[in-house]
Amino acid sequence: MTDFSIRSDNVDVEQIMRQIRARIREKRGVDYTEEEIRELANVKLEKFLDPRGVRSDLLEQFRRKREASLPPNFKFEDTTLFETHRGLLAFIRRLLRPVLKLFFNPNPLIDALHIQSKLNAQQAALEPLYYEVIHNLVLETTRLGIDVKNLKMRVESMSSRLDFDERRARALEGVVQYRPGAVPPLQPPSGGGDSRAPESPEQSERRNRRRRRRGRRRPEERTGGRSGQGAQGAQGALGAQGAQGALGAGGTPMSEGGEAEPVGEQSDDRDDRGLTPVHRDTDGEPSES
Amino acid sequence: MKLAVAVQRYGADINGGAELHARYIAERLARHAEVEVVTTCARDYVTWRNERPEGVDQVNGIPVRRFPVTHERDPNHFGRQSRRVFDQPHSIADEIAWLESEGPASPAMIDYLERSASKLDFILLFSYRYYHAWHGARRVPAKALLVPTAERDPAIGLGIFGATFRSVRAVMYNSHEERAMIQAATRNEEVPGVVVGIGSEIPARTDGERFRRKHNVRKPFAIYVGRIDENKGCKELFDFFLRYANTFPRGLDLVLIGSAIMPIPQHPRIHHLGFLPDEDKFDAIAASDLLIMPSYFESLSMVALEAWALGRPVLANGRCDVLKGQCIRSAAGLYYERYEEFAETLYALESNGPLHARLGRNGRDYFTQHYTWPVIERKYLDMFDQLKREDASGARRPVESLGGWLARRQRHQRPAAEVLTTIPSNAVVPGSGAAENLSRSA
Repeated sequence: MTDFSIRSDNVDVEQIMRQIRARIREKRGVDYTEEEIRELANVKLEKFLDPRGVRSDLLEQFRRKREASLPPNFKFEDTTLFETHRGLLAFIRRLLRPVLKLFFNPNPLIDALHIQSKLNAQQAALEPLYYEVIHNLVLETTRLGIDVKNLKMRVESMSSRLDFDERRARALEGVVQYRPGAVPPLQPPSGGGDSRAPESPEQSERRNRRRRRRGRRRPEERTGGRSGQGAQGAQGALGAQGAQGALGAGGTPMSEGGEAEPVGEQSDDRDDRGLTPVHRDTDGEPSES
Repeated sequence: MKLAVAVQRYGADINGGAELHARYIAERLARHAEVEVVTTCARDYVTWRNERPEGVDQVNGIPVRRFPVTHERDPNHFGRQSRRVFDQPHSIADEIAWLESEGPASPAMIDYLERSASKLDFILLFSYRYYHAWHGARRVPAKALLVPTAERDPAIGLGIFGATFRSVRAVMYNSHEERAMIQAATRNEEVPGVVVGIGSEIPARTDGERFRRKHNVRKPFAIYVGRIDENKGCKELFDFFLRYANTFPRGLDLVLIGSAIMPIPQHPRIHHLGFLPDEDKFDAIAASDLLIMPSYFESLSMVALEAWALGRPVLANGRCDVLKGQCIRSAAGLYYERYEEFAETLYALESNGPLHARLGRNGRDYFTQHYTWPVIERKYLDMFDQLKREDASGARRPVESLGGWLARRQRHQRPAAEVLTTIPSNAVVPGSGAAENLSRSA
């Protein structure tokens, strides 16, 4: 989902819409409208099959139809028309054939039927191949459909997690303030020895407990991450507007009652997409902390 | 100053856009002039059946003179006539027959307007596409001001209306887009015109909590106010919202206010509350996070203005030029043309507090600047003054002839739907070429 930085009182709606469309383009690759996509799909597929019309029992139907309606084929030669098992009749027909040809020319008819017979034979030979192709197509379509669904779910899940991470990062940036002197600058290690004063077992235990509660952090978060974000974080997504900017980026999540939650504890209240809408008070102003 | 307001239906209980518009204007102008409303006895805009008594009545202190409608609308006949003039080459006579079949045909009303024109300073004719407006404008052009309330539908492409728009004294437009469309269709740039729109009776105080308690709505929600109708884009709204709700399980709910003439999907996040009185409606808008306007065709969305007046941003259908233009000019709303944009914009308004707050503030400012009653009244009064100055100078535009008996029956008119496709459709925004008169008229 798109985040917008509102930097001044002048909101440019067209600019926001351009950002939204750019974001959609980014997600989809090419900015086709639904109609265009449908048109493209139709152009490519209409000659072969309607993908929406693929039935789950297509193969069974195909097999049944084929068995039920397979027409008999037979060879058709130039003598087929005049053949008979009766010798006398065959003789008379042969005798009268020139007379028959005075009335019409049977040759084109014979040729056509001969070709048709051959075509029928070829068709019959091709049918198992068609069957195989359709069989494979159905299998592949099914497999691809399942894959696409899985991938879609994964992409959606990853995208929402990414959004959540981005917002969380911005929320953290907005909350953390850099105070000179508050955090002692990191000292280079002095010869491997510990320069800190030895601490009591109580202090050590308390520190360990605090560490366990916060969870283990990665080294880059402990050093550059925090101190580096200080200055930037004060600006947040709103530039000079600091904490409000973090909110603007969908930032500091609000509890149901509209109170700001501690950033570190918010993930429990969110769904797996990390989406918690900003709640507003009754006169519609956002509850900003 | 004496004014007449002519409109197809009139009454305190009639909530149609143009009719409500006419009532508000009549009641407001009554503070500055003697106003009489001239209308029909019809109450139902589909049949135009005579349901109210003929004669003079009082509605909120304004005298209302009603005239009977000569025939009810026959939907089949009207459908046939519409297909003929919208989709086929046809004649002027066909268009006049279409107008007659559309109704509400009330020759007595037109006769009265003509008779009383000499005693009136101006006649405000509402809704260009109806019988009374067309005949009224042709019979008393010297006194006629047209409030077209035109939408982007094929009727604007009919030839008979071109002459009307060019003959009246002035045109009071609802929006810049409406004016651009009418000028492109009828070439009436010479006729004085101003973009006025309409104000709204916004209560001084609203209570969103009262609405939440009364209707047991606890979660944040987007609101739709109006007739729940496929023609208003509600089917698309439901499709989009259901997809959105599946993607964002914890997002906004959708509250619908208005009578439904299409099935509403059963979904735990869609709440239909039916028709509500004004107080509840304003409380509901105040309680909402934003207003959604899914309509494809609007000449001016009063409910969008009401939402802006209450500081709520609007999410509008970007395929409606008027709504899109208003969102851009006011900087108080976003718009969508397909699902991806719907989801992104709705989510942005839902989750981005500063954006939401600023759009809401801009909406309030926009309403105050352009749509409060003093502003609207001033625009009307200025126009009356301008026309009186013109009267003094003696400048008049003649009414265009529609041709003789034979000429009216020649099928030379292009299908109106085809004409409509040639009319540019864009939001009028500052800085664009189409917006050259934006600042002047605003």
